Amino acid sequence: MLRPSTLAMILAGGRADELNVLTYYRPKAAVPFGGFARVIDFALSNLMNSGIEQIAILSQYRSYSLINHIGTGASWDMIGRYRGVSILPPFIDSEQNDWYRGSADAVYKNLDFVRYHAPEEILILSGDHIYQMDYRDVIDYHHEKNADLTVVCKRVARHRAYRFGMAAIDDEDGEKGGKVTSYQEKQENPEGNWSSLTVLCFKPEILYQALEENQADRSFEFGKDIVPRLLSQNRKIYGYKFHDYWGYTRTVQEYWQANMDMLGTSPLIDMEKWGIRSNLDHRGIRDNQPALIGKNADISNSLIYNGCSVEGRVTNSILFPGVHIGPGSLVDNSVIFFNNEIGKNCTIHNLISDVNTSYGNNIEIGFETGETSKKIAIVGWNNKVPSGTKLGQGVTVSPSLEPDKWVDQLGAGRVLR
Amino acid sequence: MRRSGDALVLLLAGGVGSRLNLLVETRAKPAVTFGGIYRIIDFSLSNVMNSGFARVGVLTQYKPLSLMQHLGTGEAWDFTGRSRGVAILPPRTGSKDSDWYQGTADAIRRNIDFIEAHPTNEVLILSGDHIYHMDFDVMLEYHRSKKADVTVGMMVVPKSEIHQFGAGITNKDNRIVDWEEKPQVPRTNLASMGIYIFDRDYLLRTLARNKAEVDFGMHILPWAIENDNVFAYPFYGYWRDVGTIQAYWEANMDMLNHESGLTPGKWQIRTNFEADRRRADWAAARYCSGSKVNNSLISAGCTVKGTVLNSILSPGVIVEEDAVVKDSILLKGVQVGKGAMLDLVVSDKLVLFEDNCVVGFGEHHDIANRLYPKHLYTGITLVGEKSQIAAGKKIGRNCIIGCNTTAEMFTDPIVQDGESLQPDK
Repeated sequence: MLRPSTLAMILAGGRADELNVLTYYRPKAAVPFGGFARVIDFALSNLMNSGIEQIAILSQYRSYSLINHIGTGASWDMIGRYRGVSILPPFIDSEQNDWYRGSADAVYKNLDFVRYHAPEEILILSGDHIYQMDYRDVIDYHHEKNADLTVVCKRVARHRAYRFGMAAIDDEDGEKGGKVTSYQEKQENPEGNWSSLTVLCFKPEILYQALEENQADRSFEFGKDIVPRLLSQNRKIYGYKFHDYWGYTRTVQEYWQANMDMLGTSPLIDMEKWGIRSNLDHRGIRDNQPALIGKNADISNSLIYNGCSVEGRVTNSILFPGVHIGPGSLVDNSVIFFNNEIGKNCTIHNLISDVNTSYGNNIEIGFETGETSKKIAIVGWNNKVPSGTKLGQGVTVSPSLEPDKWVDQLGAGRVLR
Repeated sequence: MRRSGDALVLLLAGGVGSRLNLLVETRAKPAVTFGGIYRIIDFSLSNVMNSGFARVGVLTQYKPLSLMQHLGTGEAWDFTGRSRGVAILPPRTGSKDSDWYQGTADAIRRNIDFIEAHPTNEVLILSGDHIYHMDFDVMLEYHRSKKADVTVGMMVVPKSEIHQFGAGITNKDNRIVDWEEKPQVPRTNLASMGIYIFDRDYLLRTLARNKAEVDFGMHILPWAIENDNVFAYPFYGYWRDVGTIQAYWEANMDMLNHESGLTPGKWQIRTNFEADRRRADWAAARYCSGSKVNNSLISAGCTVKGTVLNSILSPGVIVEEDAVVKDSILLKGVQVGKGAMLDLVVSDKLVLFEDNCVVGFGEHHDIANRLYPKHLYTGITLVGEKSQIAAGKKIGRNCIIGCNTTAEMFTDPIVQDGESLQPDK
């Protein structure tokens, strides 16, 4: 096997508005996750561990962080004569000058790239999810069924179904999979109870044709447009049933929950066991010395990467490289990104803090005053939070706030711009 | 941006370092792990990189495989590119010379072709054995400004330690006027760090003079001091030769002491994370509920459920519930079972301490190891790589448990202070 037969295309163009300040300056796929990595590392490592090493990444929103992260692709062994990762940004040419108008349009605009690789199957993935999967099982099932399209799905509760593309799958192969009999995207009360995980395996000619036809439409999404189109054409569509952990990161609450799923006595996410790699050159992760835990530190149920120093208390939290926690401070139920500095005697609950932010002394975050449905506070990057500041539960602070914009106290759920 | 040419770097990494005992049973001293994630040679290599030098030859001889794997392509230290690079220079058999390297100068002499293939005005010679931070570019400027033939990196050490070093006596211009190699009676406290900058042509002439001169400290420098311009380059700051288990333990513990001056993170010391060829990256270290970690250095990939005090943990170390690790250095992948107690232990990689074993038992820190009384005499017990310490057994102070010892070999309930347990080879 010299030439790879599978081409994988990762959809990493999106921003996910609901992630708010975390995606002001980076696509969702490049959001930090798990103490040192990025969200897209899960898809990339799954590909690596599945032996798929011919990858394209479709990216258009604030691509720099992602491009920087992918580097040469060597981190995932995606470098070599028949191995590689290409980032495909939108482009203009003599025929068109649009941005990618949707995920299907993004692939359509790069069909010459796809055809050049002459793949036997095309795997379309989202770069936004936290999971472990061996795509070879999906591809094997796809071939076993001689399917035109195989959609990987997970069972979800009815009340959550309105957010997803929902398929009805028959029991042709029991818990392994079956024929897709109906599909509805983001509707109340869909027929099926299997949500699409945006892991799609296509027969190339079928995909090419569907993308061509889709160009006459007004919407260009795989879930909303391509899958229903193929279904209406009576194409052979199979659902591959996935039963393991699936972490969404579409909202702040979901993202925070997926982080918390790494903690506890039997964590749902085990990056080591899943074989997750990141690009350790990105932000110089590999150059950090081991974490220095101080004489009076008190740490419980937490993940702490190299380059941190802890003198205070850390509970139920995740610290990325270069986080310093001063004496007398408590960090609880929080996710602190790269290079944060937290001073003395701060009390911090339920916070997601983006990179390069520093906190003075005697700061309180996460206290309960006023009404709010949001629980998690987020502070954007490159902020200097003045000593003594009090931030209520679920507040949002914009990145790089001017020093004179800070207030002494911000009530729960409020936004500071 | 460099404004003047750099020097060719020759790094002597062939030494045995036998006083490190079990730690050098399968690897050369420069390849020994230090400070959780580093190898000793990372300090020299990173200093070279941070000084802006990029052409390096590493002279190896003793058990070089681990070292070669660690160096890899040199990419970790930025030694890749068309005019940059790191070359491994093992001893070679030629038409006449079939011997191993006989000494530091002899090793360089046998690689004159490498020096000639890399034309530079100066050659920087250093060893891969020390923990320090130094800007060689400043030393090179100094060498040039003094118009020296040779410049020797030197530092002040206590007079009681001078017998381990080459000692130089300088005049007020820092010119070295007299030299004693490992003097029993000290006349100075200025010690050589084994770091030399030679004018290249001077080095080639000197090496050609007499092939019986095999050592820089013993032969080359005394002659050069008598006949030519040799200057001392004074160094102030943290510098340790971690050539003994005691010095190795102390320097590791300096990582925990803010005042020690040992800060590899700030010094931008780089290591090669990819040498292990692991499938996954080490994940963030996991501190479970009920764990207690104080005054310790914890690497990514560790899991702590028990107690860790004043200790250094390399990646992948697991400390189970109710286990206590104190004043110890545990290298990669060591597992400490439930209820095990480790006190003053230096453990090489992949050792399994089974449940409820006690290593570093009793208060007789002063009963030195019977076989190696000069290696272990302060209470440190040394455990070789891939050993299994049987459940519930007790091991005293200053003991040596050899590499690949299996649990069945612990026939007695106690290994007494100063005793050793070695599998038959």
